[in-house]
Amino acid sequence: MTWLLRMMLKEEFRVHATYSGKTMFLTFPLIIVVFAFAIAVTSGKLLAYTPLADAILLLHLSVFLYGMSVGAFGFLGRQYLERKNGTRNYVVTMPGILPMRLRETFLGMYVRDAIFYVGLLLAPATAGLILSVPITHFRLTSIGILFGAAFLSFLLGMSLSFFVSTLYMRSRIGFGVSVAAVSTLFAAAGAFHAIPVSWILPGLAAHDLLPPFAVNLSLALTYIALNLATVALLVGGAVALVPDRYEPPAAVARQELPRMADRFARFPRYGTLLAKELVDLKRSGTLVKMFFSFVAPLLFLSFTAWFVRYGLQVPVGFNTVFYAVMVGFFGVMLYNWLNNIDAVDYMATVPVSVPQFIRAKLLTFLMMTSWITVGFVVGIAWLNGDTRLLWLAIPVALITSVYMVTMTAYLTGLRTNSFLFDPAVLARFTVMSMLPDLCLTILSFTLDRDMILTVMGILIVLAVLAGTTYILLEGIEAKWRGSEFGD
Amino acid sequence: MAAIEAHGLLKRYGSVEALRGIDLTIEKGEFFGLFGPNGAGKTTMLRILTGQLRPTAGEARVLGVDVVQEPLKVKSLVGIVPEVESPPSYLSAYEYLYFVGRVRKLDGLDARVGKWLEFFDLQDERDTLCKDLSKGTRQKLMLAAAFIHEPRLVFLDEPFINLDPIYQRKLRDHLEDYVASGGTVFMASHLLDIAEKLCDHVAVIRDGAVIATGTVDQIRGVESDLEAAFLRLVGARP
Repeated sequence: MTWLLRMMLKEEFRVHATYSGKTMFLTFPLIIVVFAFAIAVTSGKLLAYTPLADAILLLHLSVFLYGMSVGAFGFLGRQYLERKNGTRNYVVTMPGILPMRLRETFLGMYVRDAIFYVGLLLAPATAGLILSVPITHFRLTSIGILFGAAFLSFLLGMSLSFFVSTLYMRSRIGFGVSVAAVSTLFAAAGAFHAIPVSWILPGLAAHDLLPPFAVNLSLALTYIALNLATVALLVGGAVALVPDRYEPPAAVARQELPRMADRFARFPRYGTLLAKELVDLKRSGTLVKMFFSFVAPLLFLSFTAWFVRYGLQVPVGFNTVFYAVMVGFFGVMLYNWLNNIDAVDYMATVPVSVPQFIRAKLLTFLMMTSWITVGFVVGIAWLNGDTRLLWLAIPVALITSVYMVTMTAYLTGLRTNSFLFDPAVLARFTVMSMLPDLCLTILSFTLDRDMILTVMGILIVLAVLAGTTYILLEGIEAKWRGSEFGD
Repeated sequence: MAAIEAHGLLKRYGSVEALRGIDLTIEKGEFFGLFGPNGAGKTTMLRILTGQLRPTAGEARVLGVDVVQEPLKVKSLVGIVPEVESPPSYLSAYEYLYFVGRVRKLDGLDARVGKWLEFFDLQDERDTLCKDLSKGTRQKLMLAAAFIHEPRLVFLDEPFINLDPIYQRKLRDHLEDYVASGGTVFMASHLLDIAEKLCDHVAVIRDGAVIATGTVDQIRGVESDLEAAFLRLVGARP
């Protein structure tokens, strides 16, 4: 198993390094070190407004969600298995031709990513905190406990995601039931306070019982054991659910492409590509994945908003426009999904350029997936009983999401996942997303103070975003003209 | 005007030189075979000539079109069968050919798609998604896609490799008819016995450089067959 793990770790590193280069990729954890160091040395000011315990709660929730986003091996592995005859293949599919079990490689993926992503983010962040000790005088034991507890929450998130996504390979109903159960559990803790959050995150509970918060070692150990047992149970369950042989369900298709291509005939350069993308979206089930990929960050966002407003008693107006801004910025996930439907190497054999294909994906986003953005804004407004600002929130969500998607397309082309690990691209992405995000978020908070002035401010930001979107759209041609499909 | 003209083609991947200044001229109506050991640079050469890769240096014209300046025009003129048979997973066999036809702006698409589905006996797989097709069937589909616009030049990278003997024979006959009617074939392959029967001219490439070029008879020389000549040329014969 160790050799397999070593092999899979090498593979993961090479996959990431292929796109941004080894040096650039290795710079990513260094950036995290610097970032964590900077946060640590300014933590005095931050903690003046947010109590340490609350900051720790947010940290645990963040790493839990990070773990969840990493651990969906049921979806990921299935995707690899179905693509095994494409131009890229992965160690995880080797049981198809070698005397080894699929369960082994799936477990390998879990251990690999636990190591890889801890090495990429949690460990460098901890290193940043340690480096700050001469300035901050944080105790090394506290930093060690912080890392250990956060690691537990990360593992829990990964394991839960691993289990639920693997269940999907076996039973759609079972998947639905498990998603509903987890959502209910979080709603019970976050929205209804029926149970404490630490019941769901034993790592957090253990953290609260150790220095600098308290010294109750025996109870802390109990929570640690509970966390590890839950992880073992979920991982064991997930591994047991991995089938011995994966046989993708063979599907027979109705001929939809010609009808759809005719419908888009008015776009001579993009119509056929657009039709193909839409057919792909539907048949690959990506539309459903896109919808659910919004749920986790929005749950987190709602919980954070609730926590700041009611937990910290900070009188910030989280209105529908604020959520619209956030939903708009999550548009980047939708573009990423569009790039993950299928390998596109075959496009190199037809007279289509990479910029043309990127633009077709942007059109697909506009035509097919922007309704997800609008749907979420309307849904959140309705749930919060705050529909009075929908007239402003919907254009805010649409323009920010179109800007985000165009900007992401400009920066990352057809390989969003990989390029966002390139520090140079990530830095540009961060600046280009954070600036308008901050402007719109701050403006949304002042809506109730001076409506007319704030709306004017928002409209100016939206106009700038629309203008930038146009410039980026034009720039896609020059930036990606020389690139090739499948490399 | 030659079908393909290349001068000083060089391709570097970091410190590795995949192609080292290749000169090549292929006349229209030729069946040209490019042979070489694994990693010799055959696929790189084919990808550069079809506009899929930009050379580090050198120039090439395909049917009079500069492959560096106008890669899309090259792709619109020629047919390409890549090394790996990878049609889009979520389109059916019919839809893939329809898609290719639409991208190439072809008329009478239904008839063309029907013709090529029939040619490769793909009617039963017409509505099957590409991800569920066998390797050989996917290969047939890629071949059909390469010929659907009736190009005057096709680039084939190991076209026979996944096909059963029946379809190898059928493809061979088709390629012979195609060349007889004025078409040009550029084929990269390891299957020397098939190539010996089909090719007019061949080139042997090793370590990114052409080490021999000429008619099949010229390359064969005093050897009993092309395979023996190839082994001698690449220095693999004991």
